[in-house]
Amino acid sequence: MNAAIFAVVVLLPILAGVLIPLLPFRNRTAMMIYIEAAVLINSVLVFTALLHRPEDAFVLFRFTGNLSISFRLDGLGTVFAGIVSALWPLATLYAFEYMKHENHEKIFFMFYTITYGVTLGIALSEDIVTMYCFYEMLTLVTLPLILHTLTREAVLASRTYLYYSLGGAAFAFIGMVFILSYGTTSNFVPGGVLDIARLGDHTNRLLIVYVLCFCGFSVKAAMFPFSGWLPKAGVAPTPVTALLHAVAVVKAGAFTVMRVTYYSFGTDFLRGTWAQYVVMALVVFTIVYGCSRALKETHLKRRLAWSTVSNLSYILFGVVMMTPLGLVGALSHMIFHAVMKICSFFCAGAVIYKTGRNYIHELNGFGRKMPKVFIIFTISGMALMGVPGLCGFISKWNLVKAAVDSKNPLAYAGIAALLVSALLTAIYMLSISVRAFFPGRDFDYSTIQDVEDPNWMMMLPLVIFVIAMFCFGLHSAPVIRGLESIAALM
Amino acid sequence: MSGLILLPIFLPMIAGIGMLVSSASAKWKKAPDLSAEGLRKLHILAITVLAVSAVLALWTAWSGDVSFTLFYLMKDIPIFFHIDDVGRVFVTVISIIWVVICIYSFVYMKHEGEERRFFGFYLVVYGVLVALVFSGNLVTMYLFYEMMTLTSMPLVLHNGSREAIMAALKYLFYSMCGAYLGLFGIFFLYKYCSSLTFTPGGTLDMALVSGNQGIVLAAVFAMLIGFGVKAGMLPLHAWLPTAHPVAPSPASAALSGIIVKSGVLAVIRTVYYIVGPDFIRGTWVQTAWMVLTLLTVFMGSMLAFREPVFKKRLAYSTVSQVSYILFGLSALSPAAMTGALLHVVFHAFIKCTLFLTAGIFIFQCGKTRVEELNGIGKEMPKTLWCYTFASLALIGIPPTSGFISKWYLAQGALEANIGVFRWIGPVVLLISALLTAGYLLPVTMNGFFPAKGTEQTEWKKQEPPYLMLLPLVFLAAMAVLLGVFPNPLIRYFSQIASTVL
Repeated sequence: MNAAIFAVVVLLPILAGVLIPLLPFRNRTAMMIYIEAAVLINSVLVFTALLHRPEDAFVLFRFTGNLSISFRLDGLGTVFAGIVSALWPLATLYAFEYMKHENHEKIFFMFYTITYGVTLGIALSEDIVTMYCFYEMLTLVTLPLILHTLTREAVLASRTYLYYSLGGAAFAFIGMVFILSYGTTSNFVPGGVLDIARLGDHTNRLLIVYVLCFCGFSVKAAMFPFSGWLPKAGVAPTPVTALLHAVAVVKAGAFTVMRVTYYSFGTDFLRGTWAQYVVMALVVFTIVYGCSRALKETHLKRRLAWSTVSNLSYILFGVVMMTPLGLVGALSHMIFHAVMKICSFFCAGAVIYKTGRNYIHELNGFGRKMPKVFIIFTISGMALMGVPGLCGFISKWNLVKAAVDSKNPLAYAGIAALLVSALLTAIYMLSISVRAFFPGRDFDYSTIQDVEDPNWMMMLPLVIFVIAMFCFGLHSAPVIRGLESIAALM
Repeated sequence: MSGLILLPIFLPMIAGIGMLVSSASAKWKKAPDLSAEGLRKLHILAITVLAVSAVLALWTAWSGDVSFTLFYLMKDIPIFFHIDDVGRVFVTVISIIWVVICIYSFVYMKHEGEERRFFGFYLVVYGVLVALVFSGNLVTMYLFYEMMTLTSMPLVLHNGSREAIMAALKYLFYSMCGAYLGLFGIFFLYKYCSSLTFTPGGTLDMALVSGNQGIVLAAVFAMLIGFGVKAGMLPLHAWLPTAHPVAPSPASAALSGIIVKSGVLAVIRTVYYIVGPDFIRGTWVQTAWMVLTLLTVFMGSMLAFREPVFKKRLAYSTVSQVSYILFGLSALSPAAMTGALLHVVFHAFIKCTLFLTAGIFIFQCGKTRVEELNGIGKEMPKTLWCYTFASLALIGIPPTSGFISKWYLAQGALEANIGVFRWIGPVVLLISALLTAGYLLPVTMNGFFPAKGTEQTEWKKQEPPYLMLLPLVFLAAMAVLLGVFPNPLIRYFSQIASTVL
């Protein structure tokens, strides 16, 4: 298979998205069919590419010298591209139903579809320059999605998002420049590209740059102290919060961190240095911090957003272990968290869409009125807690296995943080379920007469996610084996 | 053939889920409550499923050591069932008591309502418990341990009052906290053990451990504290006196008699089948563990002594009594372990009797506080006699069962090599026994001989219906008779103790 397919899958959604406001659709259904078809075709193309794995790179164009926009597919990219292209068609389906009552639908779907291409661009980039370009683009194309409702809150949230992301990108840029000048190549190579000969006595300088670069990229992964934008961005419509702020954008942050850590700076250079301890301390703190904030939060979507903050740091925790096992843990949590969190967000979205309730204390008794949604919500909550048999347990197990193996005292503290966080997760997720299913003896159901389960367009993605959670949880061996083969290259 | 092991696990779960679905769909359709006929059918279904599963469970358990691998959860971690001696003991106790309490609930639950939900969860929990007992490795056990927490929580909040819901949440969060502490230990043991399969004497890989004793000991201690949560051990015992009393009485009995024992089982599995008693003997872990259990024994009894609400008093008593068992386990001597296992069995029967009595008092005359029970013996003498016999057994007066187990516990402590605890242990047990007499017997005395000045002089007989009384009589009889004929049990348990120590 020709490597040009990489450019196709990146550009097709961008093009299809740009065309949405220009094409004269006869009615809404026609537009829905057009968008879903474009997204679906693109996902099929991505999966064909993933299965056939063209080995060579595809250069889209060259700026100058060795600076180019070029694509290549490797193991890490496969995982991220696979997650994104599996979830996008489902999320789009869900969005059709959800966005029915919102304005500016065409603009929304334009940016929503463009984002698909840009995210794939990050997954498929061959070198740090390409990745950086798409990383910046991701900020810009997702900004209008947060802005969508145009309320004062949304404007403020999008402004925060912009400042955080651009600031982060600036730090990431520093990292990129240093990689370009100290590395043997700008491409991603398992094990890193730093040229030891050129390094000389600049080790500490490079470590400082690594920390800056790590912080820069992990702004998108909402690491403390850069996590403030994510819960605020919850004002966006739920398809955006679910897909972008639980999967695409935030995992792009985690993905880029993996790239610079394992493929640019190299773990041999970083492991055991003060830089590792600094970033690990930040990550471990974020794990607990995110959960504690989630516990305090009474707004349903914001609570889930804080939970995302914490869970993304699980992934980063795997990354900063800087061992192959750590990478396996990180990647497995990247996949499994995507499924769990998008599922719980979609449940929250279903509640908001059907009833307009936003706060947790308003959900009393909903379990009887929306049984399907709340059973699924409970299952996703249990998966997030890490109940064995569901996928969350597997990734947690892998993360902790790596931490125990690393013999790093800070990683032991990380294990404790993971378990504290699991407990807090149990509290903030299950207290919602208990409230929904057991509102108390005297609860008056006539106050929630209007509440009911949503239609199939919303239910289908949810059911698929639940099945995926059980499948991954009960039979994870093939996935983990695949991830191990990726990590074995380190 | 070994796949038969799955039947007693999944049959009650499926039947239970069926009841829950029918309960939910009835509410969905706004159908009226069950008619008397429907209720009778529900009862017959529940008891049939339970009896069949219990017979199957006992039959598979006692027909020899069976192993069965369900599937591989992860590359090297199977969901694996294995029945061994300890499993046989637990499954027998659980099955007998579960059936007996089920019969009692037929009448009792009439005044609580929502029977389909109650019996649904009741059956599911039975399946989960059997699975927990049959688990052959640590991860399988952990899986069902979590499931047990989640499925037994609805039993606690059954009546739906705000108090019950808050108690259920407290139960949930304490249990989760415990489970995660346990998991913390499992993570480390996975690294330092040759396998997570339960093996008498432990599987710790000494070559890997050498040099890392500190962290392994810390992991074991975390597991002891974590699994101790379910057993109501200090410092995470506070959920127990909140959650057990608010549940409907049959559920309180099941929780206090059986579910707390799952914590004990998890501790036995960890210490005697994974880590190995030799590894923790003489370390700070053993010392700390003994201190915690003895403190719990004493504190539980003290709190029970000054508690005016009857069911709460019994719950505090559970806190104290289960730590007898844990103390027996912590002494790491064969006699103490025998005593601990004996107390597992005896305490199950005794505590169920006591809670079912409390249920009868509530059901028949709505009395919940100890001072309201003046003269209760004139109204329902048979019930109070059952209570009295069970109380005597719990205090440990010969020839009742409690005497035997305490004798072994004390003897085990004396012969164990545990320094100053050799005599502190028995002394604390003795003081606690006195306190036990102090908090249980006044109910009997004031019940049969109401204090002067009680205005009531006419006592009308109001014994409970036979479906409630017979289970009670059976359990009380067991509590006494097991003490009169303890030899088969003692032989069996000493043999278990000798294989692991």
